Amino acid sequence: MTDFFILMKQELIIMVIIFILLAIKIGRYRSNEWLLDMVNLLLLVNFAAGFFFNKEGMLFNDMFRTTSLIVLEKNILSLGILIISLQSYSWLKNHKHVLEFYILLLSTLLGMFFMISSGNLLMFYLGLELSTIPLAAAANFDLQKKKSSEAAMKLIISSAFSSGLLLFGISLIYGTTGTLTFTGITTHITHDPLQLFAFILLLAGFAFKISVVPFHLWTADVYEGSPVAVTSYLSVISKGAVLFVFVSVLYTVFKPISDSWYNMLFLLSVLTIIIGNLFAIRQTNIKRFLAFSSIAQVGFILVGITGTSQLGTTSVIYFVLIYLFSNLAAFGVVSLVSAATGKEDINDYKNFYQTNPVLSWVLAIGLFSLAGVPPTAGFFGKFFLLMSGAGQGNYFLITIAALNMVISFYYYLRIVKAIFMDANDHPIEKLAIPGFPKIALYMCVAGIVLTGLVSYLYDHIHSLTQVADTVPFIGK
Amino acid sequence: MSITVVLFWFLTALALLSAIMVLLSKNPVHSVLWLIVVFFAISGHYILLNAQFLAIVNLIVYAGAIMVLFLFVIMLMNLNAETEPQKNTWLKLAGAISGGSLLLILVSVIRSATDMTGRTAQVGEGNIGLISNLGKALFSEYVVPFEISSVLFLSAMVGAVVIGKKD
Repeated sequence: MTDFFILMKQELIIMVIIFILLAIKIGRYRSNEWLLDMVNLLLLVNFAAGFFFNKEGMLFNDMFRTTSLIVLEKNILSLGILIISLQSYSWLKNHKHVLEFYILLLSTLLGMFFMISSGNLLMFYLGLELSTIPLAAAANFDLQKKKSSEAAMKLIISSAFSSGLLLFGISLIYGTTGTLTFTGITTHITHDPLQLFAFILLLAGFAFKISVVPFHLWTADVYEGSPVAVTSYLSVISKGAVLFVFVSVLYTVFKPISDSWYNMLFLLSVLTIIIGNLFAIRQTNIKRFLAFSSIAQVGFILVGITGTSQLGTTSVIYFVLIYLFSNLAAFGVVSLVSAATGKEDINDYKNFYQTNPVLSWVLAIGLFSLAGVPPTAGFFGKFFLLMSGAGQGNYFLITIAALNMVISFYYYLRIVKAIFMDANDHPIEKLAIPGFPKIALYMCVAGIVLTGLVSYLYDHIHSLTQVADTVPFIGK
Repeated sequence: MSITVVLFWFLTALALLSAIMVLLSKNPVHSVLWLIVVFFAISGHYILLNAQFLAIVNLIVYAGAIMVLFLFVIMLMNLNAETEPQKNTWLKLAGAISGGSLLLILVSVIRSATDMTGRTAQVGEGNIGLISNLGKALFSEYVVPFEISSVLFLSAMVGAVVIGKKD
């Protein structure tokens, strides 16, 4: 019984927070400031609690399993939701449904936790649904804006479609292997055409969620229409969670057919990097721009996944952590500007430096890190991804990825140039930065600088992945 | 030919035919009605497999509730044969080619699947689909997913209420 509480600690905390929020909602009226302070405190507790009393093991017949690596992944996600919550302070302060917003976000986080911990396709699917359906409602949280409703509609329809593909794949796998547990599937999966077909459907479902290129069409519209907080949540947290599962599913469950999925990933990553980059160059809206930039980033992550299992897992988790800091730094500034002025066009950012030097620097550092300019962490992240990909000896893929990194400098630095150098008679006026977003932005900048320089982090993740390769599947 | 075999082929033909009619009918209301026939035929298949609970739920939820919702929406949007958008020929051609290749792959993949050759569905036997067994599995082996889906419903409800509010 104590095992139950310790192993499911993180999920239980989230559930308790959801219920606290429900109780507050039912209780007497509270001001938004009080609510936001309370929620941010709870999220901080949730993040801090992830570091204590960790134990590895399984529960409920392998439906739920946890390892140090999984705990680390969950901690990364908890950190992300804390930063996003701090950043969206100025937007939520004037919103009428603060608690509902957090209930939705936390239930998606709960879904992601269960998804990451799942040892069974049924649990995995349920976690995935729990992590997408409430997000569609959250995407609609700019209740007056038509674009927001459009984004929610597109998100729910495309995710329903991808869930359909995923379920079809799962049912074919169940039909051919007769089991839903990951361990059982690994022993039964072969190069049988039907199983390969099922795997392709499963891959398509995954690809939808992380917006890999042939399945990316929903991304830009949804990112543009949703409130900035939800956009950053979609681009960092939900993508990160699916990537964590994707990596572990590929390397463990579908290990027997790794030569097949290697070729698929190779093609997908080349397409994703090139098309994400080409479309990012053309964007004028900064949220659409960040959407395509995130597509291109996923392409680089796929390059890392094509590598061998341990290096691949390490580099992907390390990169997601860096990507979280850098993308949230960029989105944090965009969110402040959007909440105060409603401006989301890249041209509006011209000469931003003259009025808001601090925000300009944060945005610039975030963009430098996304591009992968050496002193920032983004460089190390991409370096390790490419190194992992190079382990397979496919230098064609690495060359294409490296060339595209150079292309990506162009569009990231174009924005930096607009901020610092372009003349503009009416730059965005000086913005007051409230305390919480300021803390969040400093956290991001510190993260960008330190994650790259403190080599202990990479080594730590690397040591955990070594264990993760063997432990969770010894059980049966 | 035993009665189950006759029933099986009859239901299969009915399901396929009405599924095709869903696509072919110009009037959206007719499409929905044909879809209800599809659901009935599939429920018949479930009964043949001795999965009574699934059959009843399929009827109540899909043929009953969801299809009524569809009809409501179609009637509120005032769709009919005249407002049906005309797709251009290239689009139709592309759809036919991609759908056709998917069908081709599915058929060949299922024919070559080693697990499936020489196997037939277990008709009229097995008691996995009976309500008591399903309930036992749901509350013992699958209790975690069952409990988690309650959180899903809670958040879906919260989301729906927020979206539905006017202010």
